[in-house]
Amino acid sequence: MRIHVRRTGGFAGIERAAEVDTSGRPDAHEWHALAEKAVAAGRGTPPVGVPDGFSYRLTVDGTTVYCSDPRLTEEQRKLISKVLREGA
Amino acid sequence: MTTHGGLEPVFCTVVPPHVLDRLARSDDPALSGPARRTLVRDSELRSRRRVTSEFRLAAAPAAKAPSDQPLRTVYDAGHGTDLPGTKVRGEGEDPGQDATVNRAYAGLGATFEHFLKAYGRHSIDGDGLPLDATVHYDQDYNNAFWNGEQMVFGDGDGEIFVDFTSSIDVIGHELTHGVTQYTANLTYYGQPGALNESMSDVFGALIKQYTLSQTAAEADWLIGAELLAPSVTGQALRSMKAPGTAYDDDVLGKDPQPATMDDYVRTGRDNGGVHINSGIPNHAFYLAATALGGFAWEKAGQIWYDVLTGGELTEKAFFTDFAKLTVKAARERFGDGGEEFQAVEKAWERVGVRIL
Repeated sequence: MRIHVRRTGGFAGIERAAEVDTSGRPDAHEWHALAEKAVAAGRGTPPVGVPDGFSYRLTVDGTTVYCSDPRLTEEQRKLISKVLREGA
Repeated sequence: MTTHGGLEPVFCTVVPPHVLDRLARSDDPALSGPARRTLVRDSELRSRRRVTSEFRLAAAPAAKAPSDQPLRTVYDAGHGTDLPGTKVRGEGEDPGQDATVNRAYAGLGATFEHFLKAYGRHSIDGDGLPLDATVHYDQDYNNAFWNGEQMVFGDGDGEIFVDFTSSIDVIGHELTHGVTQYTANLTYYGQPGALNESMSDVFGALIKQYTLSQTAAEADWLIGAELLAPSVTGQALRSMKAPGTAYDDDVLGKDPQPATMDDYVRTGRDNGGVHINSGIPNHAFYLAATALGGFAWEKAGQIWYDVLTGGELTEKAFFTDFAKLTVKAARERFGDGGEEFQAVEKAWERVGVRIL
């Protein structure tokens, strides 16, 4: 499973993106569970969000959804920070 | 269509309905998304706006005078994301051990004082609204935002950004989003969104200059100068004096802000480039303020404030609409023969915004 996260906006307006490929990873199962929940709670179009809030685009195996700070689910928040931290 | 809670500021249509219809059918979700939501919410927004303006008209003569003192509360999210978090300092309470809390408290006070002393405005709603801020939001969080009700500050990751309370203009920037929400309520997308961002940078910078008693010539015109971690190659996050030159770093990339309409960036990202194209009205303000000299909040700031709060600036204003109103406001406030309106006119001309 390929999990891609792109973050735009924020006070600085600086974009960040990262991807994790879970194939062969020992914790692939956890990633999959997290990604499925995060995507299920996402939206088909980008929410406008709040002034200076981050906007996120999550793409999991070709399915793309959007979400924005501060209204993220726990799974979305966790997935985003894991991918941006561990992804390439 | 999700539910929009009471915390969210009002967003409204930027473009005519026929354009929205076309955008809503676009394959690019960055275009179709806002357009669809706008179409759906348009009537709801209209009624809310009507209520707001009626309230504004009714409130001015009738209400009792709001206090000249702020009513500040700082909360600590404890690195979580629940808002507002635990109350750690209320109005009039002594400073504690946490420098972040103390900086937020002082920044709220400086912003309140600037709007009151310079423009006679009582807090962000003009009616003494309590000022709330939450610090230590999330972990290593590289951002600060206004959620429609309060300010929220992250600690930064220490690698790219330090604590977001470090720059007083950042605190002023967030609170000015509140002022904009209660006044012109510029839609946070595309050109009106870039104007919304620019208002926050302009008054954020003025709050810093007011606090330091700096003239336009003395000021650095940087936004977030204290925010970058030592390893980052750059001066700040944005430069109103020279947009596009604030940083050029291996990790951060290069400051993408244009200074003039020739380099206007068309994008669906960042809510249609609100933090990018704000460089253009930011630079116009800088040019007007430095041409007029002295303390920037007294003339250029007053003109911008008059437009933001005057009731003629619409939620979907473009740069040219805003520019036109600043020239009008300069004439009304400082007279037809004055240098003020000429400086303002010239500033917009130099950034390539035509005043029709």
